[in-house]
Amino acid sequence: MLTVTVNGVEREAPQGGRNLLSYLRFDLGLTGTKYGCGEGLCGACTVLVDGQPFRSCMTTVGAVAGGAVTTIEGVAVGDTLESLHPVQRAFVEEQAMQCGYCIPGFVMSTIGLLNREPHPSAGQVREALAEHMCRCGTYQRIERAVERAARGDA
Amino acid sequence: MSLKIVGDVQVGFPQLRTGYGAQTYGNTQPQTERATWIALDADGGITAYAGKVEYGQNIRTGLAIEVADELRVPIEAVTVVLGDTDRVPWDMGTFGSQSTARVGWQLRKAAATAREVLLTLAADRLDLPVAELEASAGRVASKSDGSRALTYADLLRGQEIEREIAADPPVTPASEFTVMGRAHKQRIDGIDRVTGRAKYSQDVLPEGVLYAVIIRPPAYGGRAKRVDLSAAERVPGVARVVEDGDLIAVLGEDDEAAALGARVAQVEWEIPAGQPSRFDLPALLVSSGQEPFVMQERGDLAEGFRGASLVLEATYFIPFIAPVPMEPRAAVAQWEGGHLTVWAGTQRPFGLRQELASIFGIEESQVRVIAPEIGGGFGAKSPYGLAHDAARLAKIAGRPVRVAFTRYEEMMWSNFRPAAIVEIKSGSTSDGRLVAWESVAYHSGDRVMIGRRGSETPYDPPHVKSTVYRSDSPIPSGSYRSLGAAVNHFAREVHMDELAAAAGLDPVEVRLRNLSEPRFRRVLEATAEAFGWSGPRMANGHGAGIALGIDVGSYVATAAEVSVQEKEVRVHRVAAALDCGLVVNPEGAANQMEGSIVMGLGGALFEASDFQDGRLLNSTFARYRVPRIVDAPRIDVRFVGDDTTPSTGAGEPGIVPIAAAVSGAVYGATGQRHRELPIQRYL
Ligand code: FES
Ligand code: FES
Repeated sequence: MLTVTVNGVEREAPQGGRNLLSYLRFDLGLTGTKYGCGEGLCGACTVLVDGQPFRSCMTTVGAVAGGAVTTIEGVAVGDTLESLHPVQRAFVEEQAMQCGYCIPGFVMSTIGLLNREPHPSAGQVREALAEHMCRCGTYQRIERAVERAARGDA
Repeated sequence: MSLKIVGDVQVGFPQLRTGYGAQTYGNTQPQTERATWIALDADGGITAYAGKVEYGQNIRTGLAIEVADELRVPIEAVTVVLGDTDRVPWDMGTFGSQSTARVGWQLRKAAATAREVLLTLAADRLDLPVAELEASAGRVASKSDGSRALTYADLLRGQEIEREIAADPPVTPASEFTVMGRAHKQRIDGIDRVTGRAKYSQDVLPEGVLYAVIIRPPAYGGRAKRVDLSAAERVPGVARVVEDGDLIAVLGEDDEAAALGARVAQVEWEIPAGQPSRFDLPALLVSSGQEPFVMQERGDLAEGFRGASLVLEATYFIPFIAPVPMEPRAAVAQWEGGHLTVWAGTQRPFGLRQELASIFGIEESQVRVIAPEIGGGFGAKSPYGLAHDAARLAKIAGRPVRVAFTRYEEMMWSNFRPAAIVEIKSGSTSDGRLVAWESVAYHSGDRVMIGRRGSETPYDPPHVKSTVYRSDSPIPSGSYRSLGAAVNHFAREVHMDELAAAAGLDPVEVRLRNLSEPRFRRVLEATAEAFGWSGPRMANGHGAGIALGIDVGSYVATAAEVSVQEKEVRVHRVAAALDCGLVVNPEGAANQMEGSIVMGLGGALFEASDFQDGRLLNSTFARYRVPRIVDAPRIDVRFVGDDTTPSTGAGEPGIVPIAAAVSGAVYGATGQRHRELPIQRYL
């Protein structure tokens, strides 16, 4: 039996080639992970697999079997500002959002980036987020939020 | 136990029975004339109701700020209910940057009325004259003895009060604001958005929902000639297939089963031949121009041009671009008996309710439309036919049905910003003073209001005529941030740069010479100063451009610094000044300005929707480039309005001058004038 761990809970992976994004959203009801393009080009569907950002729209559950998947629902310990993940808190404090649809993806990629590189340069931040899209155009705020989180000021 | 403030619902849009809304959608008549705007319950909870929807403009926080200030409570104490036809006042739709200007004002009046009621109740209970009392921090207290106080909850205990919004309630003057116009640490929905709890229409999944995929033609105007859904029906997990008139769909127990079913369905299409391609567009716009409408006329053009020593003539071209909201449209419909509930990310929940009632021949009271969070709209999500399809399918299936666009469908079946040709002829004196101005614009699409918006020149030539035609639209034209204003401004402001170059003047100087309106002069001067304007050619080899404009009553100017390498323009920084009167939520307004500038950079530099034989050629992100983080400049926004001037819109003006500013900056860097968009195609 193949298993997949989602936000700390081990589950039996569905049979067949179930798409990971569909599995998270529709089978588990974890709708914080978004669909934006289904072609790996917008980042809205980003989750962490074993701590690293991963486009869930482009893969099957089977492909991440045995791994630990973290979605946006799995990074905060509570629902007050204080109990958010520091990256989430930084996005709130910089008001780095408009419609917010892209934001879970940006948050997950930022967490992944800071896992790899706790003190990224401006260039590394841009590179890590280059394939995300925010049509509302909140990029300047997103960059500030990432910097704030990296400074430990969130 | 509660206090309800009720009032007229017809505040949502200025030209209610005529004008833009009426012409566009027809849903100009509310079913109910009055509604509850604010309710305080016995435990002190404050709820504000508005018929607007939230699609990123941050209206929930903006309205909470206005109500909180008037009721003397922190913003977190206010809950704002939006976009649910069963719960909120009727509204024509969320467009035209009217939310703060009109609905916010109505809520302020309602909240001020509520405050007066609370003061009167307290006067009675404390046996003090109203003049001796003040409301603050959710209590009414004696001005001289703060210990004599009652909370709003205390005051409302045992009460059941309903009041009409007072005709002239004591709304708080700007000098006494404590919440409005101040910096706020966060939006009231910020935490919901970073935790994934915010629910968008894509996320609505009622018990027993079926996932539908609608089979649509591969080209505009296509009709199904032969339909065979038997293979689709055999796909495991497909619950049923539907062929109902023009509606062909596969319904699955899960999304992938439905998608696979749709892929194996056999449909032969008839595609109308001879549809124009993008290369035919400029000529088509002019040749199909009809219904000329004179937007502005004064003086006598012939006389004006006789007196001109400098005459310039140029043509500007703006192609179709796609709105590309991050959230593709989705709609979920559920029937319970004869009652229909639809969740749809529409900018017009009440308009959609009316359409659904008429499609099914039922009363509007039998239909509830809920617009949850909307992942961007920019004007494009006013029409929402997808919800009609969802409701039809749910009725046929006898189960809730969810229909969601793929990105390809969102690109193809949305509506594009109209393409346009603008011809401008100007006459000036040798020192750059305009004496004559003639502009003729051709905008695609039937909705003439789009092309007309922003087509009048704000400059002072004594002899002027501005005419707007509507032209055939080979692909669907529709609303897009600022409608035609960004398009008309691009042409006019690039022309002003051309005049500056021809007269040997600085672009800022030439504009100032032709502008008497102080609000224009102020935004232009503030922008030049913030930017450190020193002319189009910068010492570091970069180019600089500047442009101004007006939209939704707000005055705006923008300057941009660019460098050009081969086929790529890099925008390094942008400075902008906005005069939108009173700024209720500075952080929210700045966010809107930044976003509209970034969005405008896409249309300025690389966005264009290409089509041929009725097919859209760039319908995926691999082929349609929108601005990314690496394209985003540093943006500095200033507000230079006056807080005693009523608020006007902040969500749209930012996009209006940016393309011309970039064109001017590219000219500064390369010496090449760009009259066509997107600029990178013509480098
Ligand atoms: S939805 Fe996966 S990258 Fe866009
Ligand atoms: S906030 Fe709307 S797409 Fe990023």
